[in-house]
Amino acid sequence: MLFFSYFKELVGKEVTVELKNDLAIRGILHSVDQYLNIKLENTRVVDQDKYPHMLSVRNCFIRGSVVRYVQLPPDGVDIDILHDATRREARGG
Amino acid sequence: MVLGLLPFTDRVGDGPLLDAAAGEELMAVHRGVAVALGARNLEPPGTLFITTKRVIWLDDADAARGYAVDFLSISLHAVSRDPEAYPKPCIYTQIETEVVEDEDSEDSDSECGDDFELSKVTEMRLVPSDPSQLDALFNMFCQCAELNPDPNSESEEENSWVHGDEEMAEGSDSEWQLTDNLGNPIGYTNGDHDLARSVLELQINDQRFEDAEAVEGETQADHHH
Repeated sequence: MLFFSYFKELVGKEVTVELKNDLAIRGILHSVDQYLNIKLENTRVVDQDKYPHMLSVRNCFIRGSVVRYVQLPPDGVDIDILHDATRREARGG
Repeated sequence: MVLGLLPFTDRVGDGPLLDAAAGEELMAVHRGVAVALGARNLEPPGTLFITTKRVIWLDDADAARGYAVDFLSISLHAVSRDPEAYPKPCIYTQIETEVVEDEDSEDSDSECGDDFELSKVTEMRLVPSDPSQLDALFNMFCQCAELNPDPNSESEEENSWVHGDEEMAEGSDSEWQLTDNLGNPIGYTNGDHDLARSVLELQINDQRFEDAEAVEGETQADHHH
């Protein structure tokens, strides 16, 4: 549950979601669920030359299972909290 | 289950024959929805049926023409209103296909050739005649996608790891899953051996964690009673 909990903290921030088909989409994280399905708002495709037809979509829902990476905003990463959370998670509680 | 778009002709009256045995139920019906597959032209308006399992589009005039795609195959769906992206406001979907081929990377351009094959279509646009339906459509797609998490592609052992925690994410083959498993209290009931193994997997598969060793050290320390 660590990633679910952590991503929930990032709601409202800008993230870049890279799919397993190499498409990368940047947008404001609207919500995330326990399957790590991700909803983005005000999205745009990072490589617009390659995917011109996806120039801009307003809302976007991405299946958790097709996500390869989520690039986080630097200011959305609190290293100390993340360290604590991973240790708690490793202890099982 | 077969990934990708499939032809669909099983009709009952004006609607699709659903897989009642699998618990499939109709969630929404939208009339006057045109469909465009890949880079092909828009097809005449038909009726869109959204079920708990899949999206089915039926041509109103030609009963032999219809398409179905499982929510499990829909990687992404979005509301597209930018006329530069597509001339008409639409629901844009990306579809995961069964065959992984090099030509897939050429994107949808390869689909406009003569060798058009439904199973290779990676994009589908649904264009409602009434654009005000877009948000309702989008939300319904979200709702139904969440009803269809991926079946766990990991081994049986992995299945048992996530079993028992309803909140646990299922069916991911990503490194994240290993991290989730590590946090599953069930791991502890299996004794230190399994725990140590999963920690090892974490180190191997998730090198992004700088403090993986520290985590391991602490965890093991906790368990030497």
